Amino acid sequence: MIQTVNLQKLFATEEVETTALHGISMDVRDGEFVAIMGPSGCGKSTLLNILGLLDNPTAGEYHFYGTEVSRMSERQRAQLRKGSIGFVFQSFNLIDELTVYENVELPLLYLKTPADERKARVEEALTRMNIMHRRNHFPQQLSGGQQQRTAIARAVVAKPKLILADEPTGNLDSANGEEVMKLLMQLNDEGTTIIMVTHSPYDAGFAHRIVNLFDGKIVTENFHV
Amino acid sequence: MLHNYLKIAFRNLWKHKTYTLINTVGLAVAFGSCLLLFLTAYHELSFDNFHTNGKNIYQLYNQTGLSNKGVPMPAPLTTALKKEFPQDIKHIVRVVSGGTIRYGDKSFSKTVRYVDEPFLQVFSFPTQRGARPESALSSLSSVVLTETAAKDIFGSENPIGKTLSLQDETGWKPFVVSSIVADYPDNSSFRFDMLVRFEADPTYQLNKDNWDDSYHTVFLQLADNVTQASFEQKLRGVVKKYYAGNLSNLKRDGSQPDENGDLYSLRLLPLRDLHFDPEVGTAEVPPVKKSYPYLLLIVAGFIVVIACINFINLSTARSLTRSREVGMRKALGALKSQLFLQFWGEALLISLFALTLGGLLTYGLLPVFKQVFRSTTSFSYFQQPAILISLLIGFLLITFVAGGYPAWFMARFNTIKVLKGGISLNRTSILRNTLLVVQFAIATLLITCTVIAWQQINFLRKMPLGYNEDQVISIPIRGSINGRQMLRLLRDRLSQQPRILSITGAYKNFGRGLDGSTVTSIMGFEHNNHSVQSHWQIVDYDYLKTLDLRLIAGRDFSREYATDTTTSVIINEAMAKALGDRNPIGALMQVDSGRAPLQVVGVVKDYHHESLKRKIQPNTLIMDQGWPIGYALVKIAPDNVPATMAMLKKTWEELDPNSTFQGSFLDENTDRLYKAEERLSQLFISAAIVAIVLSCLGLFAIAVMVMTQRTKEVGIRKVLGASVLSIVALLSNDFLKLVVAGIVIASPVAWYFMNQWLQDFAYKIDIEWWVFVLAGLLAIGIALLTVSFQSVKAALMNPVKSLRTE
Ligand SMILES: Nc1ncnc2c1ncn2[C@@H]1O[C@H](COP(=O)(O)OP(=O)(O)OP(=O)(O)O)[C@@H](O)[C@H]1O
Ligand SMILES: [Mg+2]
Repeated sequence: MIQTVNLQKLFATEEVETTALHGISMDVRDGEFVAIMGPSGCGKSTLLNILGLLDNPTAGEYHFYGTEVSRMSERQRAQLRKGSIGFVFQSFNLIDELTVYENVELPLLYLKTPADERKARVEEALTRMNIMHRRNHFPQQLSGGQQQRTAIARAVVAKPKLILADEPTGNLDSANGEEVMKLLMQLNDEGTTIIMVTHSPYDAGFAHRIVNLFDGKIVTENFHV
Repeated sequence: MLHNYLKIAFRNLWKHKTYTLINTVGLAVAFGSCLLLFLTAYHELSFDNFHTNGKNIYQLYNQTGLSNKGVPMPAPLTTALKKEFPQDIKHIVRVVSGGTIRYGDKSFSKTVRYVDEPFLQVFSFPTQRGARPESALSSLSSVVLTETAAKDIFGSENPIGKTLSLQDETGWKPFVVSSIVADYPDNSSFRFDMLVRFEADPTYQLNKDNWDDSYHTVFLQLADNVTQASFEQKLRGVVKKYYAGNLSNLKRDGSQPDENGDLYSLRLLPLRDLHFDPEVGTAEVPPVKKSYPYLLLIVAGFIVVIACINFINLSTARSLTRSREVGMRKALGALKSQLFLQFWGEALLISLFALTLGGLLTYGLLPVFKQVFRSTTSFSYFQQPAILISLLIGFLLITFVAGGYPAWFMARFNTIKVLKGGISLNRTSILRNTLLVVQFAIATLLITCTVIAWQQINFLRKMPLGYNEDQVISIPIRGSINGRQMLRLLRDRLSQQPRILSITGAYKNFGRGLDGSTVTSIMGFEHNNHSVQSHWQIVDYDYLKTLDLRLIAGRDFSREYATDTTTSVIINEAMAKALGDRNPIGALMQVDSGRAPLQVVGVVKDYHHESLKRKIQPNTLIMDQGWPIGYALVKIAPDNVPATMAMLKKTWEELDPNSTFQGSFLDENTDRLYKAEERLSQLFISAAIVAIVLSCLGLFAIAVMVMTQRTKEVGIRKVLGASVLSIVALLSNDFLKLVVAGIVIASPVAWYFMNQWLQDFAYKIDIEWWVFVLAGLLAIGIALLTVSFQSVKAALMNPVKSLRTE
């Protein structure tokens, strides 16, 4: 259960101050699939980063499963993030020097999961994402779709309650994009909460709810069935 | 997790092979050079540190006024000191060298030292067999041999109790081997093959009560509670009591007192400083200035700094290619400290590998190094735990700084920014540029210092010495035939040879011959109510002719004057000046009050009878028959030198089958005087080259990195019509500015230090402005070459290609 109250984010550089978020208050229930939409520069990624505990808001409250986290140190956030949030990025962000298997294994290493369990879970994730046959390949040797499936495998391997995806289909063709969306839907069906930023109304159509941002503010929220 | 770290570390190193190679090879070369420099410096600094009583042992020297130091002491001084300070002095040891030895019918060229009985108690040369240190020299007819000398003379026989014959001026005398001691280590200032009692030296009987003949050195072992300062204070009383005449003469002559107001003082040089005092230190091992080993350590430090800078620059620049990994790891919950440890661990891995490589390099190169630089250092110093531990600490410190900074830099990457892909190389440029400036400042400093040092050494070598040094061979006379007799025989045999131009003999050699010894003898006497001190050289007929000394007044020694073998002397210009007579020819010198005065018959133009480190001192040539002739000097025709040399050797060995021919040219002998300096400057030059190569290596890698970053910019510029040349200029410009900044910083520093260094030389070059220009241009040239290789490559690249890679 995620709840934000009047979140503000201000970027101050030497010359200009940009207010990226202008009082965002939103709730996301467990098991919900939320899509965030809006024109470029309206603050979608900024919001997602704060929700993902990668960044702190300038003002406002953020209750992450009952804990107020908006004033936490980086160290505390890292501790909380570990294992409870999975990330999927537009640009995949796989580590080039690690194989598919090793990339997916990484979150479990940080969680100090025992070796045999680790192996089982990595293989399970790879099988689910239909990438098992490429387990020993390096990211550069994969297609974009395969890379994103690996990234999703990595996001889910620790069985997080929450998955945050920033334009997961942005760099993919429609067939691959469709497949990624199906995988996300499947995860959501199994109970994982998903918050996804997208520019594609089609992809947004898979979500239960669409939050429209404009200039750092929520303008509308559309609910699906 | 460790497994994962190692895996990614190795894959990264493998993927960026150029950087890994530059990093490891650079570090390995730096570590290797440092270890070699360290070994050399440590060897020099460790001189004479193996004596158990070391901290209580001092060499006695005298000082006239502020700077004139002398080591030879008169024999009765020791007796007087023993009587005056029975409490303070634990042992006192006189040392003088001489003698030739014979066993059976074979003679050996061995270094014999006449020493006082407690020598082996004062100095730590452990007994291997035979009598213990306390009793080894208790008899006047005992001889102590080193292990090697014993092996050479007796082979596998047991030497203890065997009788050796030792030759001195009075003939052959028997000595019984009482004890065998271990060979002196390489870091010993004392070098000897055998020891006999000081009193066994025949000159002792003549000189034991003679205060006027200073001919031996004195070492003191003070009692534990006596300090150097307190004893030197007491020695002032000794000077007042025993040197009263000397003092009043100095006063009358208006001599300058030293800092304590003393005109003449007896002082102590701690044993540990013996190797670092060129005036007092022993002649067997040329002393070096104490600053030299420290300079080597500083240069080693410079090399490490340069290598660290490379490491930091390369790692931080390369780290940007791993920013995504950092971002992702952070998103997955990695802590900063975890990331720091990961990257620092990688640095440690490279450093360890480089250290191993550098260690192997040192080990492999040490024999070559020792040969090239005539070093006697040894790898075994690393077996000493203290050294090993301090080196390890040094290594960890280096990796902590060199690896720690980039690791910290990476661990601090902003997660969101790197995941967005927004970190560029420019962010680090202030630090990187500062480091590059430092690096080039060091390199320029080393180039400049090297050029100046090389000039000075060359200047000394090329300086005319005032005598014929390249045609004259000096041969130590060490066989069973007395010096004058040997000269006569040589003249008989060789005077008809057209290739032998002239033959003479002398008591002292020029420079340092193959026998390794240098002797100084100075006489002091009263002349027209002021005291005069002069070097004393005993010569034979044809000395001036053989050495091409220029007579500027009077005449040469001649067989036509009977007095020439007794009271005639030839002096140099400096001596003529010291005497102060308007016309020195005919001046009478009352050197020995009991004997007839000496008369000046000729004046020769000043020549460098001593090392170039000193100004030319007064010198007197005399044919006094009471002194021995130690060296034959033979001038040969300049053509077909090897044949003449072979002929000389053959003749020599025919004349005295018991002795070995050790002839060497005088220029070789004088070169030996500068061996230490020369060796060290060669070392500096090599170190400077290493430093420069390392700097270039770093610059090259940075250039590669920056060019890669700017590929797109170059592409756009080319599309817009920029010429190749303008792009090369654009890309090289940034680097040139840094190099110039380095030069501007380094030049005054180099000027200051080299000026200080030159102060120590009696004859020195002026530092010329063009040296700095040359060094600067050299640095710029090297840097430009390094960078332009990359910039030209970037400028020539097809813009379509370079734009597509983005
Ligand atoms: N680190 C930063 N410093 C300054 N301004 C920032 C920073 N990050 C984002 N901004 C600004 O905040 C606003 C929101 O940026 P954000 O990245 O959240 O937009 P976005 O909605 O994700 O856009 P897009 O759809 O193009 O990805 C923008 O105006 C951007 O310029
Ligand atoms: Mg965005």
